[in-house]
Amino acid sequence: MADIIFTIYYSEPGQDIDLSVTENMKPFKYTRATDAASATRIAAENPNAKFLAGGTNLIDLMKEDVERPDELIDLTNLTLSQIKALPSGGLSLGALGRNTDAANHPLVRQNYPLLTQAILAGASGQIRNMATNGGNMLQRTRCPYFYEVSMPCNKREPGRYEGASGCGAREGVNRNHAIFGWSEKCVAVYPSDMAIALSALDAIIKVSTPDGRERDISFADFHRLPGDTPEKETNLETGELIVAIELPKSNFAKHSYYLKVRDRASYAFALVSVGAALELEGSRIKQVRIAMGGVAHKPWRARKAEDYLIGKETSAENFQLAAAAEMAEARPLEHNRFKVELGKRSIVHALEMAVRGGKS
Amino acid sequence: MVGSPLSRIDGILKVTGKADYSLDHPIDNVAYAVLVKSTIAAGKIREVNSAQAEKTPGVLAVISHQNSPKLNEKGGIRGGALLQSPEIKFFGQTIGMVVAETFEQAIYAASLVEFQYQEASPQVNFESLASKAMPSKDREDEKRGDARAALNQASLKIEEVYSTPIEHHHPMEPHAAIAEWEGDRLTLYSSAQIVNGAQNSAAKTLNIKPENVRIVTPYIGGGFGSKGGQWANLVLTAVAAKVAMRPVKLALTRHQMVNSVGLRQRNQQKISLAATADGKLMALAHETTTHSAIDEEFVEPCGDCSKLMYDTPNSLISYRVVPMNVILPTYTRGPGKSTGSFALESGMDELAHKLNIDPIEFRLRNEPARDPSNGKPWSTRATAQCLKEGAKAFGWEKRKAQPRQNEQGDYWVGHGVACGTYPAHQRPSSANVLLKREGSVVQATVELAAADLGTGTYTILAQTAADALGIPVDKIVVKIGDSDLPPAAGSVGSVGAMSYANVVNDVCQKATEELIAKSGKQFFARPTAAQLMVSEKIENFQSSVQSEAPASAEEYSSHSFNANFAEVWVHKFTGMVRVNRFLAVTGAGRILNPKTARSQIIGGNVWGIGMALTEESAMDPRWGNFVSRSLADYHIPANLDIGEMEVIFIREDDTASNKLGVKGIGEVGIVGVAAAVANAVFNATGKRVRELPITPDKLI
Repeated sequence: MADIIFTIYYSEPGQDIDLSVTENMKPFKYTRATDAASATRIAAENPNAKFLAGGTNLIDLMKEDVERPDELIDLTNLTLSQIKALPSGGLSLGALGRNTDAANHPLVRQNYPLLTQAILAGASGQIRNMATNGGNMLQRTRCPYFYEVSMPCNKREPGRYEGASGCGAREGVNRNHAIFGWSEKCVAVYPSDMAIALSALDAIIKVSTPDGRERDISFADFHRLPGDTPEKETNLETGELIVAIELPKSNFAKHSYYLKVRDRASYAFALVSVGAALELEGSRIKQVRIAMGGVAHKPWRARKAEDYLIGKETSAENFQLAAAAEMAEARPLEHNRFKVELGKRSIVHALEMAVRGGKS
Repeated sequence: MVGSPLSRIDGILKVTGKADYSLDHPIDNVAYAVLVKSTIAAGKIREVNSAQAEKTPGVLAVISHQNSPKLNEKGGIRGGALLQSPEIKFFGQTIGMVVAETFEQAIYAASLVEFQYQEASPQVNFESLASKAMPSKDREDEKRGDARAALNQASLKIEEVYSTPIEHHHPMEPHAAIAEWEGDRLTLYSSAQIVNGAQNSAAKTLNIKPENVRIVTPYIGGGFGSKGGQWANLVLTAVAAKVAMRPVKLALTRHQMVNSVGLRQRNQQKISLAATADGKLMALAHETTTHSAIDEEFVEPCGDCSKLMYDTPNSLISYRVVPMNVILPTYTRGPGKSTGSFALESGMDELAHKLNIDPIEFRLRNEPARDPSNGKPWSTRATAQCLKEGAKAFGWEKRKAQPRQNEQGDYWVGHGVACGTYPAHQRPSSANVLLKREGSVVQATVELAAADLGTGTYTILAQTAADALGIPVDKIVVKIGDSDLPPAAGSVGSVGAMSYANVVNDVCQKATEELIAKSGKQFFARPTAAQLMVSEKIENFQSSVQSEAPASAEEYSSHSFNANFAEVWVHKFTGMVRVNRFLAVTGAGRILNPKTARSQIIGGNVWGIGMALTEESAMDPRWGNFVSRSLADYHIPANLDIGEMEVIFIREDDTASNKLGVKGIGEVGIVGVAAAVANAVFNATGKRVRELPITPDKLI
């Protein structure tokens, strides 16, 4: 139950500090990385280390005693904050760029307004000023059972609840929880708004590996469903560091919309959110992307709805049929049945808003 | 000065961080205490293992029921949890405390104390327990005429159940205290809405004399009732300081606030109303089913508004209660009236709709000439004026009488009205005034053990004293928030402003009279105290007085009244609600400072909108733990949720209640608000939501 406050011990990269004097509280080592190579190397050597960027989620979780890293690798000295136009016509967002800067960059506003809307729908101005693009991808669920250490949670303490489900929310208060892709081990939802837009835009996560390589992970493959290992939320390997998020060239700028439905108009996580993007030829749908937030353990691409809409006219009826096709797959829990109807309405309304160019 | 919109005299101190709240008080050699909370809702502690925590560097003491000093559990501290027994009565009950050199050491050691439990099956599922509710021990049924018979005979009626969830006070400043012993004398720097009440309950519980306890509470970061009665954290700070033999600080975390300092209980209120076709109320029944703590009853008076708002020959008010393993409920933001008016005023709206009568007109047709609950005349009752002037200012005539008629783009727009009331009582208080002259400049200090919750008490008392003494307001020093000062009423139940302003006025008038007498002169025009200090060359003068309500107050029924108007925009597809406009019209006697009064009414309105749309402390029905524990989960409306807010005060001259004609505004600002919003949602969408909060899922 108790909150834990940490004292930070400074050290230079690679230099150890004497932990014996700190046994009166939970010690952790603080390391300041100088470049991506050193950051990934240190992280690969210590599986209990965590990268520290904006800290808007990690520090909270450490205070709650949910995250207990024994080392923080501070990334803020790394030069990974640039936003660059790519020769292919796309855009690269540095992993350490602040959310506020990404949302307001002229090229983002002009070419990817869906991303601007999604970022600005999340958190508060102060948090967006601190939070980084890479860190946003790694936000952890706000499930209250995950956050309270006296409650059972397979994500927080994998393996501890052998035999029983170990998920407090599965049969507890699960109004805010998943309707797609959940498992008996975990019904939590992924909280990021930014990632919903990135999912719809088919972004690519650029990763630095401990052996000095770079690799690309497609957005669809980045986050995971809970299955039997809800503690593993992404397909990042130990030591791997997000260095950039790439947005491919897109023709969605004219017709996209991020709809976030929540219990209050700002500073609340989504009950359901929908990022919708259309490329139209007249009133015919040439390309469509629909991603949903607040419904699953990862950004949920509404592929069934997308498949239904390709080549069709932008009519209310088509939107409704597409939404119904997607939501037919939903498996709601005791307290979140409303998300099925809300999801349908949200898909339809987000598509209509996208057709109207975001004007209500 | 009284009646002018003076900015808070303590405003600069607050915005520059110079106002010392309880934990800010500078203190040397301080140690830190941290509470350990139970992780079950019912049972017994079998074993405490504190060996590891005790070995931790810096730890000064680990205290549980096994080694706690003996305290008086009937000393007036609310909610138990005083470490006196192994019994566990609710989830998150305080079961231990660690004192250490530093806060970090204490909080770490607290995580190492191990408790073994013998678990019992917790009574925490209100849905399944509600049917077992029994008549309240504290609140008897109140009947006039025969409401049941009238309802049975009536053809035009409504009978509906309105539910409100558990809510928490969540003031910005969580409860915290510093305790310092000097021999037998204890000083507690802590937030207390009732300074002398905190003094007495701390003393009794600690088995020491009240005069040996001093409460210092110059600034309070909000309380909303949770700092009225005091809770275990206050005396446990004193216990920790005693054991550690040095001053100790103890602060609750935001998470600990949900099970440490009370809550507003869940209510299921059945409203039955019958009327004639021309809109005359024939029966009103308000039957509340609720829960309390497992071993003690507290029931908020949800039927209070229903007792006196409308003229009806048949009335029934009742309360049924079931014990539950939760912390003791307590007074919360307009206790009973805010929640009760949601039920009553929603019911009135439903019946008006059924009768096809405008809801304002329906209320006006049932205005009681006297207080129906006791037959006394009103000292003043502004309801009709609030409704009429409010309707004009709000543009009520543009409202569509039928729901779902006002479509604006993707929104349904609706308008709602609801009334509220809160009693006005001057409580006994005493005060000193100290006058001091240097040359021709006279300054004054007024002293009383009043409390300022952050609402402007310092300012209105400076204004009152300035007028009464003839001294500029910047030459008045207001000293409050200290039990060493003359005893005064609490800043609770909307009694603060009227009790404090009257006693300050009285003591200033008394000083003036005494100065006139001392001069031995006769005056054509009554001179001010300031003039007398100068003309009679007096350097120092002081006076004291004790005041209470005038005898006439008993002959009248005294209340503040309001009418609330809400315009909501409900998103057609998502069910999200925005309160685009809100107007509160209030008759609350003389307004001492329209600026601070307006802020206070707006504050109440925002809380009322929160009650309507966002606030709920969700509890796991299996284990009794709250799953909404932080301000990220416990939603209070944000700026984007509310548009324009307007406040109108009706001019009232109510000297029957008290000499200055002041009535409270501390609570009335939230009363009737949730119903106005819910009624507007009905007008917008045609959906009647009877279960708060009105979240999007209830409107799709």
